[in-house]
Amino acid sequence: MSVEVTCTINGEQHVLPVEPAETLVESLRLRLGLTGVKKACGTGDCGACTVLVDGEALRSCILLTASMQGKSITTIEGLGTPDNLHPVQEAFVEAGGIQCGFCTPGMILTAKAMLDKNPRPSDAEIMEGLSGNLCRCTGYVKIVDSVHRAAEKMAP
Amino acid sequence: MRKLRIVGQRELRTDAIAKATGRVRFTADMRRKDMLTGKALFAAYPHALIKNIDVSEALRVPGVVTVMTAKDLPGRNGYGVMIQDKPVIVESKTHYEGDAVALVAAVSDEAAREALRRIKVDYELLPAYDDPREAMKEGAVRIHENHPVAEDGNILVTLKLDRGDVEEAFAQADIIIENDYETPIVEHCYMEPDVCIAEPDPLTGGLTVISPAQAVYANRRSLAGVFGIPHNKLRVVSPLVGGGFGGKEDSCLDVSAMAGVLAVKCDRPVYMELTREEVFRTTGKRHATYISHRLAATKEGKVLAVDVRTILNKGAYVSMGGMKEPLHAVTMRTLVYAAGAYHVPNARARSHSVFTNTPYACAFRGFGVPQATFAMECQMDELARRLGMDPVKIRQINMLRHNDRTITGQVMLESRGLGLGECIEKVAERFGWDKALPAAAGPVKKGKGFAVYMYGTGIPLLFEGSNCYAHLQLDGTLSLAVSSTEIGQGLNTVLAQIAAETLGIRVADVVVELSDTAKTPDSGPTVGSRSAVLVGNAVLDACAKLRERMLTVAARYMFAKTDPRDITIEDGVVSVIGKPELKQPLSAVAAKAYASQVPLAVVGSWYPPQASFSAEDGQGNPCHAYAFGAQAVEVTVDVETGVITVQRAVMACDVGKAINPVNVEGQMEGGSAQGLGWALMEESIMEKGVMRNPTFHSYMIPTIEDLPRLEPIIVEHPNELGPYGAKGVGEPATIGMAPAIRNAVWDALGIKINVIPLTARQIIKSVKEHEQGR
Repeated sequence: MSVEVTCTINGEQHVLPVEPAETLVESLRLRLGLTGVKKACGTGDCGACTVLVDGEALRSCILLTASMQGKSITTIEGLGTPDNLHPVQEAFVEAGGIQCGFCTPGMILTAKAMLDKNPRPSDAEIMEGLSGNLCRCTGYVKIVDSVHRAAEKMAP
Repeated sequence: MRKLRIVGQRELRTDAIAKATGRVRFTADMRRKDMLTGKALFAAYPHALIKNIDVSEALRVPGVVTVMTAKDLPGRNGYGVMIQDKPVIVESKTHYEGDAVALVAAVSDEAAREALRRIKVDYELLPAYDDPREAMKEGAVRIHENHPVAEDGNILVTLKLDRGDVEEAFAQADIIIENDYETPIVEHCYMEPDVCIAEPDPLTGGLTVISPAQAVYANRRSLAGVFGIPHNKLRVVSPLVGGGFGGKEDSCLDVSAMAGVLAVKCDRPVYMELTREEVFRTTGKRHATYISHRLAATKEGKVLAVDVRTILNKGAYVSMGGMKEPLHAVTMRTLVYAAGAYHVPNARARSHSVFTNTPYACAFRGFGVPQATFAMECQMDELARRLGMDPVKIRQINMLRHNDRTITGQVMLESRGLGLGECIEKVAERFGWDKALPAAAGPVKKGKGFAVYMYGTGIPLLFEGSNCYAHLQLDGTLSLAVSSTEIGQGLNTVLAQIAAETLGIRVADVVVELSDTAKTPDSGPTVGSRSAVLVGNAVLDACAKLRERMLTVAARYMFAKTDPRDITIEDGVVSVIGKPELKQPLSAVAAKAYASQVPLAVVGSWYPPQASFSAEDGQGNPCHAYAFGAQAVEVTVDVETGVITVQRAVMACDVGKAINPVNVEGQMEGGSAQGLGWALMEESIMEKGVMRNPTFHSYMIPTIEDLPRLEPIIVEHPNELGPYGAKGVGEPATIGMAPAIRNAVWDALGIKINVIPLTARQIIKSVKEHEQGR
C-alpha cells in the first residue's frame, strides 16, 4: 500500500510512490540515490541526515516522505558541484572544517539555512544554530571558523 | 638539506571537496538493490546458557533466504584482533548482549526483521558482571569456561612493572599520597555506524568484504579462517571511514564476520548495517579502570616512587585487552604510563585485565594512557597542594629531561624530540597561568587546572613496520598505495605532502590509493598514532628511491656530464642547480627512464628500531619516539545545578614536525573534545550487562555548545627518525583534558573528586558530601 508524493528535490519535480511509514532519508538514499544524505542515528539526535525543506534545516530520519507533498527539498547534492561550490561548501573546505566528512553534509546545510536567515551570526549564534549537529572529529573550532568564512563570502 | 616547500604547509585536504559536496561514497552508499539484507539476533541476556534455538518459524517468513545458527558456519567460529576468542555466532552461552545468537539474510529489511522476531531462544540465566572487581573475586561464575589465554578464572592477564626499590623510596619519603580513581566505560561514537557489504568473488572463489575498517590486513588475517578460505582469497576493502577512534579496528570484524558468513552461505552479496542502538550495545568500548595509586615524594617536590594497581574492565572478549607475550596491548600501556611524563626512579605497577559481561573493551584513542595519566596527574596536583607549590612548578621539577629514564628504563633523548618543557611554558604563558582568576560570585565557582602527558608513536610490538608502493607515471604524476585508512585524520593529504616534497612534484600530482588488500601492500593498521610517521617514512623511502633514479637518468642522458648531486627536482621540473636554463619536465625524464630499463615502480618500507618490553618486570623500550603535551583549562562550576562549563582550554603538543598544521590542529582540537566528553558527560551505563543509554539523547557527547574555543599550540622538537622530524599526533591530545578539568574543579570547589565523568549529579553529590563533612 504505497502513497504517491509529488515534491521538488534539488530543483527537479519527482512523483514518488512511497510506503506510508517510509522516512525521507530512506527515500532520498535508496530510491533516488542521493547518498550525500547520511544516516547516523535514526532517532533525530545527531543531524547527519539534515536536508532543507522549503529552506528549513530538518532531520530526514524522522520525517515521513508521505508528508513532503508539495515541498521543496534540497540535499547536499543540490547545493554546489566540485567545480562550482556553494560558498558554505567552499568555506568548509578552506577553513579545515571537514575531517571524516560524515557529519559534513548536514553541518553545511544547517549552516546554510542559518546564514540565509542571519547573514552575520556571532560565535554564540553559530553555536546555537549548529548545536543539533554532532561532530566527533573536529572539536568544532574549525566549523565555527568555516561558518564565519562562509558569511564573509556570502556578504553582498 | 633542501628548504621545505610542501611539508609544513597548510595544504587543503585532498578529499575535502568530495566530502563537502556529498559525493564521497562511504560503505553504506555502495548498497545495491541485488544485495540481501543481513541482520543479527543479539543475545536477549548478557550472561546465559542457551538451552534451545528454534528457527523454523523464521525460515517460513516470505523473503527469508537463510537463518544461520552456530552449526551452519562455513569455517572457524572465532575471530579477534589478537586472539580468536569471539564467536561469530554463540553456540551454547552468551557472554554479553552483543553476542549474535542467530543470523538472518532476506530480500528486504522488513522480512529480515520479521524473521528475527520469530526466532525462539530458551535461556538459562547466569549472574552478569559489570564490575571487574566483582568478577575477579573468588567464587565468581566463570564467564569463559575454557578460554585459550585467560590466566586465572575471569582474570585475563596480570602484567607487572618493577623498577628500583619502591619499599625503600616510600620509607624515605616526606610525603605519601594515596588515592583510588575510577574512569568509565565509554563509546567511540564515530558518526558512521558499522556496516559491511560482503560479496562472493567468482574469479577467485573467495570473498570480498567492504567495511569501514582501520586495519584491512589484520581483518584479512583474522577473518579468512572464519570463511574457510586462504588469506589471499579474502579481499578486504575499507572505503573512506566516517570516524573510528580505535573502535573500527574491532567493530568492522563483527559486522564483516556476520555479513561474510551469510554471503558465503547464500552465495549472494549481503548488506548488513548496525543501527545506532546496536553500535552502542554490541561494539567495543574504552576500558573502564579502577586505579589505586600511591605516590612518594620529598618535601622539595621530587617524586621518588609510584606504586600503582590498575584493574581494567575487559568486557566479554580479549580484543585489544592484552595478554603475556607478545601482545600486551592496552593493559601494558597502563603500566608504561603509570608515572605519566615524569622522571620517577622507583616504580611498581600491577595491571589486571578482567573479563565481565559488558561489551568487549578495545582500542580507543589513547589506548589505556588517558586512564593511567588521569590518575598520575591527579596525584601530582595533590602533591602540589600538600607542598603549597604551584601545579606547573611541580610538573617542571619532575618532567622527563634529556637522558632521564622512564619507569620502563627507556632513555629519553632530545634527538627523538623532547619538548615537554616548552609545551608547559607555552601553555602557561598563553593561558596566563600566573594571573589570578577574577573572583566569582554566588553559586558559580571558578577554577583552573593543569596536566601534562606523553604518548608513544606506533605500536610497541615486535612486528611494527610499514610498506607502500610508489609508481611514477610517464606524465610525471605519482600513484601511491598503502593499506592504511583515511579515517578523517587527513592521511591521504599528509602522505601526498611527504611524497611531493621528497620527489619534487606538486601535491595535486599525487594520488594515494588506500586500504584495499587487492591493491595496496601492508602498511600496518591505522592505529597508535603511527601512520604519518611509519607510513610516512615508507613513502619517503619510496620517493627518495624514485628521485635518485630520476636524477641519475637526467644526469646520464639529459644534462650530459652533470653530477646527479647538482640536479634538483621541484614542482615537476628537473633542472641543474644554478643553471635554470638546463631543465626538463619530470615527465620527459620519466619517459627516458621508461625507455632505458629503469624501473618506475618501487616498494618503500620503514621499520622502527625493534620494540622491547618484558611482561615480567615491565622494562624495555616500547616506542622509538614519544609525543609530549601540556594542557590548561579554566572552568566554572555552578554548585546549585552541578553544571561544569569549560571556559578556556589551551593545549600544546610536541609533534616533532607538523607535516600539515591544519591537520595537527584538527587532531588536537578533536582529541581534546573527546577528552572533555570523557571528563564531563560520557558513560555507557551498564546494569547487569545491559546498556541503559544506547542513544544520542541518553548517551551525551559534546556538542558545539559544550566546548570553549579550543586553543592549540604546536611545538616542534624533531624526531630524528620521523619523516621530516614528525611524531604521532592522533591520540596524544585526548589525554590531558580530563585530569586538567578534574584539577580545575578541585581548584574551584576545594573538593577532591576522583571519579569521572564529572556529571552534574556527581558534582551535587560531592558538594553535599563535602558539606556534611564526609
